[in-house]
Amino acid sequence: MARPGAVIEVDRNTPPVLFHFGEGVRLEKLPLGARIVYPPDPLEPITHPERAIKRALTKPLDDDPLKSLLRKGMKLTIAFDDLSLPLPPMAAPDVRQLVMEEVIDMAAEAGVEDIHLIAALGLHRRMTADEIRHIVGDRIFSTFWPDRLYQHDGEDPEANVYIGKTAEGEEVTLHKRATESDLVVYVNLTLVPMDGGHKSMSTGLASYRGIRAHHNVKTLLASRSYMNPPDSALHHSCIRQGQLIEDTVRVFHIETTVNNHAFPSIANFMQKRETDWSAQDQAMFLGMKQLTDLAPTAFKRNVFHAMRAPYGLTGVNAGQVDAVHEKTLEAVRNQIAVRVEGQTDVVTIGVPYLGPYNVNAPMNPVLVVCMGLGYLFNFYRNKPVLRKGGVAILTHPCRYEFDAVQHPSYIDFYDEVLADTTKPAEIEAKYELRFAEDPWFRQLYRKSHAYHGAHPFYAWYWAAHAMEHAGDIIIVGGDREVVHRLGFKCATTLEDAFEMAEQTVGRHPSVTHMRMPPILLADVE
Amino acid sequence: MPWYSGDRGPMQVARAIGGVVNDVQRVRRGWGWDTPRPRTWPEQGAVVPPPPSDLGWARQEPVRTIRWLIQHGLLLPFTEAMAHPKVEGREWVTELERPVIFAANHSSHADTSLVLHALSDRARDRTVVAAAADYWYKRPLLGNLVGLFLNTFPFSRTGGAKEQLHSASQLLKAGWNLVFFAEGSRSPDGRIQEFKPGVGFLAKETGTPVVPLHIRGAHRIMPKGQKLPLPGPVRVRIGKPMTPQAKEGSREFTSRVEQAVRALAKEPRQPELQGTWIERWRALKPREPEYIE
Amino acid sequence: MLALTYERSIPSYAIVRAAGGRPEVATSALSMLHLGDVPEPELPAHDWVRVSPTVSGICGSDLSAIGGHASLYLDPLTSYPFVPGHEVVGTLGDGSRVVIEPALGCKVRGVEPPCPRCAEGRPGLCYNVTEGPIEVGLQTGYCADTGGGWGETLVAHSSQLHPVPQALSDEAAVLIEPLACCIHAAFRGGATKDDIVVVLGAGTIGLLTVAAIRLFTPPKRLIAVAKHPTQRELATKLGADQVINPADIFQRIRFATGARRLDGFDRSLLLGGADVTFECVGRAGSLNDAVRFTREGGTLVAVGMPGEEKVDWAAIWQRELTVMGAYAYGAEPKKKGKRTFQLALEAAPDLHLEKLTGPLFGLGEYRDAIAYAMSAGRLGAVKVAFDLRGLK
Repeated sequence: MARPGAVIEVDRNTPPVLFHFGEGVRLEKLPLGARIVYPPDPLEPITHPERAIKRALTKPLDDDPLKSLLRKGMKLTIAFDDLSLPLPPMAAPDVRQLVMEEVIDMAAEAGVEDIHLIAALGLHRRMTADEIRHIVGDRIFSTFWPDRLYQHDGEDPEANVYIGKTAEGEEVTLHKRATESDLVVYVNLTLVPMDGGHKSMSTGLASYRGIRAHHNVKTLLASRSYMNPPDSALHHSCIRQGQLIEDTVRVFHIETTVNNHAFPSIANFMQKRETDWSAQDQAMFLGMKQLTDLAPTAFKRNVFHAMRAPYGLTGVNAGQVDAVHEKTLEAVRNQIAVRVEGQTDVVTIGVPYLGPYNVNAPMNPVLVVCMGLGYLFNFYRNKPVLRKGGVAILTHPCRYEFDAVQHPSYIDFYDEVLADTTKPAEIEAKYELRFAEDPWFRQLYRKSHAYHGAHPFYAWYWAAHAMEHAGDIIIVGGDREVVHRLGFKCATTLEDAFEMAEQTVGRHPSVTHMRMPPILLADVE
Repeated sequence: MPWYSGDRGPMQVARAIGGVVNDVQRVRRGWGWDTPRPRTWPEQGAVVPPPPSDLGWARQEPVRTIRWLIQHGLLLPFTEAMAHPKVEGREWVTELERPVIFAANHSSHADTSLVLHALSDRARDRTVVAAAADYWYKRPLLGNLVGLFLNTFPFSRTGGAKEQLHSASQLLKAGWNLVFFAEGSRSPDGRIQEFKPGVGFLAKETGTPVVPLHIRGAHRIMPKGQKLPLPGPVRVRIGKPMTPQAKEGSREFTSRVEQAVRALAKEPRQPELQGTWIERWRALKPREPEYIE
Repeated sequence: MLALTYERSIPSYAIVRAAGGRPEVATSALSMLHLGDVPEPELPAHDWVRVSPTVSGICGSDLSAIGGHASLYLDPLTSYPFVPGHEVVGTLGDGSRVVIEPALGCKVRGVEPPCPRCAEGRPGLCYNVTEGPIEVGLQTGYCADTGGGWGETLVAHSSQLHPVPQALSDEAAVLIEPLACCIHAAFRGGATKDDIVVVLGAGTIGLLTVAAIRLFTPPKRLIAVAKHPTQRELATKLGADQVINPADIFQRIRFATGARRLDGFDRSLLLGGADVTFECVGRAGSLNDAVRFTREGGTLVAVGMPGEEKVDWAAIWQRELTVMGAYAYGAEPKKKGKRTFQLALEAAPDLHLEKLTGPLFGLGEYRDAIAYAMSAGRLGAVKVAFDLRGLK
């Protein structure tokens, strides 16, 4: 029986809690009376995923069965989410592989000749051939690569077509192949409530022009939070863009959800609650801790990034985007929602080694902020877990480490922009356009495996809400110079961080620890 | 400078040991190794559900690297020294585009290492072996040992057809080649026994080609009942990959594979099974490197 | 008189070179440098006067000569033995303070008519350095007959003397000569207000070049490359828009100029880059970097004295760079023929140059002085000088 999420209060018998510390783990004792919020247990996955997929495709929601939409001589395009999801990367076979194989089977039966598969990566980096093979599987890869399976290029002037403006004046662009197709099938994997729905087409196949309409400070400050689409200005904008796209192109959405079984069996201690740790889990934890304390960085990195999550498919929905997405969000919330009563003065979060933008790369300081204060902070509905003016404490080593291939614009963002100012609004006004139009970043985005020049800005804006909401932000265990450059305070141990926090929120504050990952969504009363 | 100051050398070791001891102490105190489970702890939760596509610890990363070292350092040289295998038909396994099932005759425990020896490095890295659960996985340590050395997974010989083949098909779908001894157990006298239908069923269900192999001479090295291997000459013959035809049932396909293996046992070269030279030539065509732009 | 003399000795040169120019060897008894009592220089002609140095700086060129890694090209242009020291502020017989303009051109040597270079106001490039009542020598401080700053007294032609205004202390005045060199270099480089200028190196020459460029040819953006913290602070104070670390040079210049960067076998190169680069280090490493990040068709000014350095000429050829040397001073055509020294004396009071003059040493402590000067950057000093006031 999968237990729902729980909020446990710390008493004298509570064991110390596991904090993620980048590529490492720490055990911390929280003060008495602190709350620990645990995610729900992973739900039972569907035993026969292929059957569930077939069923969804034959009986879609608010749309005709896929078979009837496929006919000989049509132009079919299949777009799929890139490897920023799921995290950690899923063990083979990937859910998207199963869905796409079904769709292609149907297409083959109907005699469709012209099929293109596009990795809808928006302004994310191009993936290597191996990474694409991991997502689509050997069979699709060897059949379609490289002429009919390729990656979206948001800076290609030929391949991005301007299709119009929404009512609020947001420009919308779309990949040329999608506009020319008779049918676009979008294969999505919704790990967190932010993904999917109209956001898939409007960001995945868009260019800078389209994305900057909603990836800006104003919209993100008005998104409270972007993990909860009804309250999110980001999503309202995406929905407007998406509706314009739906009027232009015929799209059939297939959305899948997975449970939150994020760690393989050797790392069960990361998945389970501390009170459930068996002797084996404790031994694995001790082993892992010694490894991360003593081993050289390169070795540690390989071990961590080689972890594959044994995610199980919990739902497949296909058809018209709004109907499908409603069901998808319901399924996601079913898996990750936890009820939390009341806000807190101090919130603590352990920042893990992996975020959506550093798969197979180190987590640079800018991405630490994006992950900790962006994603992890915003996993709430209704109100943030942290009260306004409270203190957020993160744990991460925060080293000056950048991947020169994947994150070249991040290096310049850290060296030039953050040295000047850390305020998101100022940064946007002064520097974003320059980075977005830099010819070298454009070239690296198009030809190499680098994130777009403007991407570090989005990573920074992601944390704008948290930076504005929290009174103080403290990073435990970080490199002092780096943390100061980011504009935050640095502490060596968690106890010292609490001491520093008491200067801001007063003696004996209420403390809540969000034991994430695995992901949880806090429904705050 | 006295030896006990500074960050290098003995002090580093001392610090590391101190760290380990400290961590163990914290875990011990935190989880009360010497005391019963406190009542204030919430009820112990469900065991984390068996994940549908967790392929077992032996397929995870640090183990794979360790296995590579063991195979290249110990297993393959030992096999070479013991058997000097002559391999015919290596072309069929050098450039494998998709996972295949290797169906060989089974007469000795040495068969697995001989098959692995015959494969190319790339194919071997992606190969799992089905090992009988009731024989190998009865004792805990033995199962883990063969898992580490040969990349085996437990295959139940006694359960119903569905359970038997579920884990095997999972592995095939995840891109692993499968070494499968269709006879079920080692032959007592070296002759090929009747093939059980599992292999055809697997091939049809997952759409995987089957590569027939015949191993001659393994029975002499380590027959059933003998504990110690003795050196002896071995010939491994690899045939063309076979795919089930549309109308063929799984039992018919299995018997077709069995005929192929039996025929491979016979002496002269057989183009229908081993491929004409043109087919073998094409199979060896080097793959073109992939450029981006 | 008490003076440091530099003697020409092949065995000493070999020993010092073999030791890699280390100060302990380069100032030892086996070296070319000796402290001792030598006869005072005689007045060569009637328009020459005697000057008593009060503060005399140690320049990079002096350190090259002492350390045995100066280029042998300069050997025929020098007469031995000479008293080093060409950055001199001293007093005349009547007590008035002067700073010496060291170049020994046609006017100083009394050659009529002057050679074409002296005629156009560039006495440092004089053709007639072998003529006149004094021996061969490009400057005071490299000539056997004039004496130099590192001695009790020297002789100078009246055209070489510039009175020091009351507002300028001796410590500030000793930097007038290097400032003049840098002002001349700035005019040679000719940066305009649309140019991005990079100054490589932040020793005395680098820092004063930054100041000179800011004052006389202010560009769109002035980037200084400095390794040590004191140097970084001073570069910002003297007018650099941005100070960067030599380790990140290609990354930061790429960003500042919006260029593209290609990574090669051992070095990167930029497609695009800085418009004018002032190379104030004079070593192969920085010269090779400079030819790769100066834009195609740009200008590279070698200000710091180089030796025989291995530079990849393929970059210079392919990028059609204009490479020019900037040596000494004279009269600046861009300032209607005004003398560089005059410009320097006018600019000096606002720059507070005394902050750059580091520890002062007596002549007797010359070994410590030379050692300090050779590691000046790391030790947080800029200009190390000799204080000869106590010699009276």
